[in-house]
Amino acid sequence: MNLLKKLFDWIEVRVGASELVEKQLTGYLLPRNINAWYSLGSVLLFIFVLQVVTGILLLIYYVPDAEKAYSSVSHIMNNVPYGWMIRMFHAVGSNMMVLVLLLHMISVLFMGSYKKPRELNWLTGFMLLTLVQGISLTGYLLPWSQLSFWATTVATNSANAIPVIGPHLVEFLRGGKLVGAHTLGRFFALHVAVIPVAIAGLIGAHLFFLKRTGVSTPPFGQKETGNQWQGDSYRHEDHPGGIPFFPNFMLEDLRSISIYLALFFAVVFFNPYLFFPSSAFVPANPYVTPAHIKPEWYFLANYQILKIFPNELIGLAVQGAAMTFLALLPFIDRGKEKHPLKRPLFLACTVIGLLVWLALTVWGHYS
Amino acid sequence: MLAWFFSGAFLIGVVLFQPIPAVSAETTDTVCYECHGNMPGTLGEPVKLWRSSIHAENGISCHSCHGGDSKDMANAMSRDRGFLGVPKEKDIPAFCGRCHVGVLKDFKASAHGRALGKGGPTCVSCHGNHHVLKASLELINEKSCSRCHSYDRAKVIKTAMQDTEKLIVDIEGRIAAYKKIGADIDRLEKGLFAVRNHFHSLFHNVDVEKVKKEASQIQSDLKKLEETLAKMDRTQQRRKIAGVVTVAVALLAALLFHLLGKTFKHEKDV
Repeated sequence: MNLLKKLFDWIEVRVGASELVEKQLTGYLLPRNINAWYSLGSVLLFIFVLQVVTGILLLIYYVPDAEKAYSSVSHIMNNVPYGWMIRMFHAVGSNMMVLVLLLHMISVLFMGSYKKPRELNWLTGFMLLTLVQGISLTGYLLPWSQLSFWATTVATNSANAIPVIGPHLVEFLRGGKLVGAHTLGRFFALHVAVIPVAIAGLIGAHLFFLKRTGVSTPPFGQKETGNQWQGDSYRHEDHPGGIPFFPNFMLEDLRSISIYLALFFAVVFFNPYLFFPSSAFVPANPYVTPAHIKPEWYFLANYQILKIFPNELIGLAVQGAAMTFLALLPFIDRGKEKHPLKRPLFLACTVIGLLVWLALTVWGHYS
Repeated sequence: MLAWFFSGAFLIGVVLFQPIPAVSAETTDTVCYECHGNMPGTLGEPVKLWRSSIHAENGISCHSCHGGDSKDMANAMSRDRGFLGVPKEKDIPAFCGRCHVGVLKDFKASAHGRALGKGGPTCVSCHGNHHVLKASLELINEKSCSRCHSYDRAKVIKTAMQDTEKLIVDIEGRIAAYKKIGADIDRLEKGLFAVRNHFHSLFHNVDVEKVKKEASQIQSDLKKLEETLAKMDRTQQRRKIAGVVTVAVALLAALLFHLLGKTFKHEKDV
């Protein structure tokens, strides 16, 4: 015990650990009315770490070569001890990451936490959403199955609709006229090096902005629910008399992560094939197109929109406009009120938007 | 930066999947059904029949049997390019036997084979010529057999083979289910293929005693496949048990963190 204290003191006088703990953990106060939705950010961070760890483990056996990719994944699933589990953790985790990310964004929307001065938090979050979609799309090709091959063929082919640069863009994305070994090489590099580094950097920026602006106060259970920031000078939103991050909110975070894990394990161990159609287990064959190729569930709405519009370019433009509107929301919605029930127009638009997205997703699934 | 990002977002999040037409294995490069597919009567009928055959299912196209150049419309039916046309009745077994070598041998040695050219049946009598049916016990039936002779003897053979056939169908279904989830079933598939071929060769033998004797050997081979599948079932079961444990541990941890959180909240409020 004495030795431990001596060691602690030795570190303390050198790095000032107590002060750091006081400032960043026990003395870091959060709003008293903070709720469980605020812990989704920590859940996402946990999922990202799990994805990186399982991804590194998969890299030990995965071979990014069109001739060997499918058999290497099959080897991981069938012969490597616990390989199936690592692969399922990674594949199911990628879907869960998108799901939790969407929930996190919806909670930020309803609590008005995207409003100034948090525009940069929102923008970095939105960029993270698109990068997570990008890393999922590039990862989809790597098993080199029928699903991988044809989903990527169709996805990259859609870029053809962009005037002038479309065909060049398709060739650039594929590394050739058709999806092939070069596409696999490109997507592999993007999936394991470029996008993860970009995501890690953006997570850092997102957390930096969070630390600098302070945690937003939820509008629920408050008398005053308007945005107090005047925009005249930098101000960190403090919460005197709030609850400490450690141990109180960290336990809330841990509870949310445990609930997430229960759900995650339930999918991995009971129905890991929830996200895999049977074409995901057939080696890629450029000469045989499977009858029904559908994108991942989170792209089904985009897929259905393209089917609805007679002109592919219009379909793409509508989606581009919707995405741009969402990205720039903090600059468009400049009202001070944060409580959703006091913002009927916002509430109606958001609920209708979510219902339309859900309806398009279901329609895309059954169409 | 923003413009770049929105371009990226536009491409990744928006430029996405388009519906694509369903194309099956039948799109193997062949010009045959470009003409015959639209022809009336006996010239077009084979294409329609073939589409729902076991041959179409396995990617065996017109030229695989009839020869010719399937990529050159002008010379598709040229004898110089190996076009064989329609075989004469007595040549049918040899025509089919170019691929089904073992079956041809069994057929020739059987009562059916010995009656070839003397009013006996050929392959197409039972299997059909273009709507080629998958070999199964269903092909042995009173309607079909009694076209030529009494059904009694065929019935005895069918009864002797029924249990084995049932076992094969059952194992085939279980292997297909594992295939759908990416399990390594290569050896199982090859094993079943070999056993089924052996079994189906008995179909052509039409020798009751031989069928009874070999059926027991085949059943023992099938049992080995069943054992492998049972082992795979047990692995799946173990995974589910591990799932119960991990989900329970995660939920317990959630409860523990919840109660601990309440304790700290209570202490602070006090």
